[in-house]
Amino acid sequence: MRGVVEVEELVKEFRTFERREGLFGAIRDLFSRQYRNRRAVDRISFRIGRGEMVGYIGPNGAGKSTTIKMLTGILVPTSGRILANGFVPWRERTRYTQTIGVVFGQRTQLWWDIAVVESFQLLKKIYEVSESDYRARMKHFDEILELGRYLHTPVRKLSLGERMRCDVAAALLHNPPLVFLDEPTIGLDIVAKEHIREFLREVNRNYGTTMLLTTHDLSDIEELCARLMILDHGRLLFDGGLADLKNRFWREAAVRLYLKDREQGQRLSQLNLHGIGCEKLEELVWRLHFAREEWTAAEVIRRVVNAVEVRDIAIEEQSIEEVVKRIYLGEVLEESRR
Amino acid sequence: MRRHISLLVEYFIQYSKVRLAYRGDFLISVVTTVVATVFGVATVWLIFHRVPRLVGWDFYEILFLYGFSLLPMSLFNMLSINLYYFGETYIVEGKFDRVLVRPLNSLFQILFEQFRLESLSDMVLGVVLLVGCARHLGFALGPWEWLYLAAATVCGCVIYLAIFLMLTCVSFWMEDRVGVIPPVYNMLTFGRYPLDIYNPFVKFLLSWIVPFGFATFYPTASLLKEDLYRHYIYLVPLVAASFFLLALWIWSRGVRNYSSTGS
Repeated sequence: MRGVVEVEELVKEFRTFERREGLFGAIRDLFSRQYRNRRAVDRISFRIGRGEMVGYIGPNGAGKSTTIKMLTGILVPTSGRILANGFVPWRERTRYTQTIGVVFGQRTQLWWDIAVVESFQLLKKIYEVSESDYRARMKHFDEILELGRYLHTPVRKLSLGERMRCDVAAALLHNPPLVFLDEPTIGLDIVAKEHIREFLREVNRNYGTTMLLTTHDLSDIEELCARLMILDHGRLLFDGGLADLKNRFWREAAVRLYLKDREQGQRLSQLNLHGIGCEKLEELVWRLHFAREEWTAAEVIRRVVNAVEVRDIAIEEQSIEEVVKRIYLGEVLEESRR
Repeated sequence: MRRHISLLVEYFIQYSKVRLAYRGDFLISVVTTVVATVFGVATVWLIFHRVPRLVGWDFYEILFLYGFSLLPMSLFNMLSINLYYFGETYIVEGKFDRVLVRPLNSLFQILFEQFRLESLSDMVLGVVLLVGCARHLGFALGPWEWLYLAAATVCGCVIYLAIFLMLTCVSFWMEDRVGVIPPVYNMLTFGRYPLDIYNPFVKFLLSWIVPFGFATFYPTASLLKEDLYRHYIYLVPLVAASFFLLALWIWSRGVRNYSSTGS
């Protein structure tokens, strides 16, 4: 299957020069500079199919924005290949950008001083959107994002949430088949986030729009993306579904037991549970943790309830945040390399 | 191409609306521009009206040259506002990202997203000076002459744009703020006087290296001093086109070298 986006062995290096310290150093810098190549994106390859919504995450400085900037044609790759919507982004920039939508959460795409609706009118002309399409889309956008209330306000007077709604709508005005969103929910309150997520979901469902979004808010991914790519130090560490991520990196499971009385605690500690960690959280609350390779939660529970009287049982679900945090910290990586 | 032209009109209307919305600010700006130009003209007047002839040019011819120099200058000033701050706003603040994700020529967006409207007042003053001086000189300004001056104005503006575009491109390669634009900008005024008053080196510099002479002096000279400078008529568009093409080439190299900001 041909992907909407195809990336092969993509590399981006930046040449930075290292400043020497102090006045004397600054003077030496004038004459001879020490340059260093920093690899922001290191040989990544992936393919995105039509209609996919992909989350692109990684700690700060991992190379997410650099990747997005190469995919949108802003930066020229050092080496490697990108084909998006059938174009090489940087080489056929003007024709390519006609077919994509871009949202930068940190920076508005709209004209600062003019009213929102006039920005939309300009974009309509730039992307050559027909009057009827424009009307239909604006109506649709208004239903979900409630743009109507501030259409006549200049962009600089909007709150962050309002501005972001406008920015997302602006990027989708020409109904592009491919959309890149760089931190679209950064700094937004829960209602604004929800609005924007709902809008993106709706657009994806209605038009089969392919979307790639970077975020630090993993709930964005959980709610929107079936697929997730994790990047760190410029390298792609993981590419797959959320469930897959948990299966692969969720090594340790835990069961929480609420015991009937104190006596049961003693019985529990006397049980010979090989390879299962036993931890007393409160007087009657115990936590058993075990490697998922050796034990299943069902087996652990069966062993326990045969010997101990238990009032309640809770199986601890490891949160996606937890898994991702461990990946960022490099703990899980060692395991996956094995 | 058609889309670019209709957008140019649209940008102009939008920007004018924004500027006119801040009425006081705009009016002050117009008044300052007019006062500055009038002072400039007055200075030339004071310096030259006692000198009967300078390197073969008499007072009203010098004033005519000065008047014409206001035309390409005002057109350039109207368009160059973004070039002047390009390094700071577009490169350092990363606003250039926005330009690159739109399906329009990048230079088009830089030149035409903002206008310094008040610079057009210089255009009016320039025309007034031209008409006044022509009357004193007994020189008939017919339709052909106006057409010629209009074409020369466009060429002059293109020459200015080309030079400053090249200087602007420096910011694509150097992240440090480079102060090359202001000194060259001051050199613009050199072209307001007959080039023969300068030493041969400066004359050569203003003709062939930084061809401000071709923006103002040569077109005027070939009109007023036909016997000496007639052939320069053909060189004016040639110089404008070649410098502009060179600038475009450097610009496109610069865009490819653009490395955006960190976030």
